[in-house]
Amino acid sequence: MDGWVVAMMLGASLFLGGIALAAFLWGIKNGQFDDETKMMNQVLYDDESELNDAAAQDRKREALKKTAYKPE
Amino acid sequence: MSKVKCDHCHLEFSDEVMIHDGERRFCCNGCQGIYHLLKDEGLESFYAKMGDTTLSPPTEQFEASSNFDTPAFHERFVTLNKEGLSQVSLVIEGIHCAACVWLNEKALHKMDGVIEAHINYTNNKARITWDHDTVKLSAIIDMIRAIGYNAFPYDASLQEVRANRERKEYYLRMAVATFATMNMMWIAVAQYAGYFTGITQEIKTILNVAEWVLATPVLFYSGWVFYRGAYYGLRNQAVTMDLLVVTGSSLAYLYSIYITVFEKGEAYFDSVAMIITFVLFGKFLEVLSRKNAADTLDIIGKHIPREVSIVEGENVREINVNDVKIGDVILIRSGEKSAIDGEVIAGEGSFDESSLTGESEPIFKRPGDAIISGTTSIDALIHYRALKDYAHSTLSNLVNLLENAMSHKPRIEQLANRLSQHFSSAILFLAVATFWAWYFWPHTFDRALMVGISVIIIACPCALALATPVATLVGLALGAKRGILFKSAAQIETMAKATMVVLDKTGTITQGRPEVVYSTLLKKFDMSDLYSLVNSSKHPISKGMARYLERTESSVQAGVIEEASEIPARGIVGRSRGVMIAGGNGRLMEDLGISVDDTSERSLFYYAVNGELVAVFELRDLPKEDSAEAIKSLKKASLRVIMLTGDHEAAALQIAREVGIDEVHAHLSPQDKAEFVARAHDEGYIVIMAGDGINDLLALANADIAIAMGSGSDIAIEVSDVVLLGDTLTSLAEAYAISRRTYGLIKQNLGISLVYNTITIPMAMMGFVIPLIAAISMSFSSLLVVGNSMRSRWLYK
Repeated sequence: MDGWVVAMMLGASLFLGGIALAAFLWGIKNGQFDDETKMMNQVLYDDESELNDAAAQDRKREALKKTAYKPE
Repeated sequence: MSKVKCDHCHLEFSDEVMIHDGERRFCCNGCQGIYHLLKDEGLESFYAKMGDTTLSPPTEQFEASSNFDTPAFHERFVTLNKEGLSQVSLVIEGIHCAACVWLNEKALHKMDGVIEAHINYTNNKARITWDHDTVKLSAIIDMIRAIGYNAFPYDASLQEVRANRERKEYYLRMAVATFATMNMMWIAVAQYAGYFTGITQEIKTILNVAEWVLATPVLFYSGWVFYRGAYYGLRNQAVTMDLLVVTGSSLAYLYSIYITVFEKGEAYFDSVAMIITFVLFGKFLEVLSRKNAADTLDIIGKHIPREVSIVEGENVREINVNDVKIGDVILIRSGEKSAIDGEVIAGEGSFDESSLTGESEPIFKRPGDAIISGTTSIDALIHYRALKDYAHSTLSNLVNLLENAMSHKPRIEQLANRLSQHFSSAILFLAVATFWAWYFWPHTFDRALMVGISVIIIACPCALALATPVATLVGLALGAKRGILFKSAAQIETMAKATMVVLDKTGTITQGRPEVVYSTLLKKFDMSDLYSLVNSSKHPISKGMARYLERTESSVQAGVIEEASEIPARGIVGRSRGVMIAGGNGRLMEDLGISVDDTSERSLFYYAVNGELVAVFELRDLPKEDSAEAIKSLKKASLRVIMLTGDHEAAALQIAREVGIDEVHAHLSPQDKAEFVARAHDEGYIVIMAGDGINDLLALANADIAIAMGSGSDIAIEVSDVVLLGDTLTSLAEAYAISRRTYGLIKQNLGISLVYNTITIPMAMMGFVIPLIAAISMSFSSLLVVGNSMRSRWLYK
């Protein structure tokens, strides 16, 4: 096959692979893999009440940001 | 008597002893309280999540939670994040399973003002973010305790944050390196095939460029660690493994670019990536094992109080611990830790001195007794006068002593590093020689260059660099399984090279508790009197007597002895029902005018009623059961075993004979012991010293490997290079055996890599090496080293 075909295939594969790598790196930076036990056990605690809880915490945080003004 | 499960902790007890609460059964008030609390908060799904695990019933002894609100505490442990919220790092105690973590997180989330409660399942460390104005930290701690757990702070700042960041960085670099290498390998297949069956230059160039694109981040991003290490090594005029890796891979990289651009031969980008990836993996393993050790030690929480309550007339004031002056009256409440040495002037109660001595039995303090800094009040409310200021108190003295000792520790250089220095120079020499040889054969410049470079590439330091980390990882794992924590990998090598073991007698070889072994009764007397007398003293001999009496005379009762007074280094005297009684050693009897035959290898306790000797008891501090065995195995390993003790010679020789030690030095002060160890060290011995944390601190500091028995005390853990959780001499012997085995494994691995290179380097010099061979050789040598280590691990479990 022609050179440019090979180059294109290589480029495409590496690009796709690169996206996967980027996602993995993001996961490490974000601390997704810090806690192996949690990673394994979290499947047990993954229901609606968990989502609601997380949303409630976020709302708490937002409320604080609006009310509290911390001067420098 | 049917067994019923407590509805909270799920432990089983017979039905009659349980608390009946409607349909529910509880083993204690604590469990009952928590159960109702969880129900009220809507958290009873906890029990469903818990499954089959059992908890432990909540304990009552807590340090006052108000301590968590003091400015001193906040200064040390609490930080403000960018949103202005407070953050603290805590270790949560009492976690048994994932459900417990879930419970803690949920219970805290329900509190107003708690923004985030993030608990790590693996090491039980929690990071809590909260709004200081809405809720206080003490309320958060109270909540954790209310549901049956406890929390204490740890200094997250220094080591841990750094270690975490280091580990993350390594993960990132490993990920990039592995991704690149794996992709490069499938591209390389085409190149290898092309080498044998033919390939057009155009395709070859495309493949080379693709490899180049992948190799670049590996070399410069992942490989940055090595550049940094090589640079620091050079600054200290040391040729390290890092330099070897850096020169090999950089040269190969540059050469491959040259090849690609000028289209003149084979590119070695895949070798570059492989070198970096393998050696980085070795470093990665080292970093991982270090983190695990640090985690375990953190959980054994330790904290020094920052603030002290001073009593001034009617008022109580909180001042910084450094501002306390001699003569100040300090107030200690129950649950608080003392920071200053002093003497009790009012109040009485029990203190927990385990952080210093490892002894978990509470010590009762009365006016006139000494308070040592670093001990905790269990139930006492005490006013005591400071006899020293903070800088001179025991606790801070110990801390300073430790820090000094650490900085003076001799460091035995690791075998692998020494080897790599010679190795790198040899390789460079051979490579240059090969180049010149080929150039003058004669061959073209390109061909000569290619062969020269291939020598450097094939002499891959992968196996060499992996040899030590993989072996020490195995060693650390073997040790951890047996409750032996080596604080760093280098300690393993040092311990393996040891030639002398110095053991303290009391508490290390012996149990540290004198027991009655023989009694002579000369006249009848009231055992209860004797029991009451010995019960009033905390001296180890008195306690041994009390234990004996409890064992042999079931009818003894402790009464009150009038005018009981303990005379130091003599014994106890008192009066019971008008009769004068006295119990103690030979010198006490002398003082009372009673003549006794005081020659014995053992400790003698005489009991006299009304000036007449009525009984003699012999007590011995028995050696620990496993001491003799352990010492035998140490001697079999050709170690010189020496006993040092502050006790008198007769007792020391007796114990030495029993456990099989030939060299004994008795009557030594802590200073003498330290000098002994220092002298041995100067004579060229490598010394392992095992002793008591406090008394032998100086000697331990001088030893090459310090092991403090009494694993219960914080001091012991700080001082020890090797922490023995099992606290027995058998663990010591095992630790030595493991270190020797690991060292042997390191040598084997290094041997394998050297033999490997001896085979492959001549091949390179003769021009037989192509990228394919280089890649295979690298993987194979690394596999051999790892495989050899695994074999050792599997063999010794």
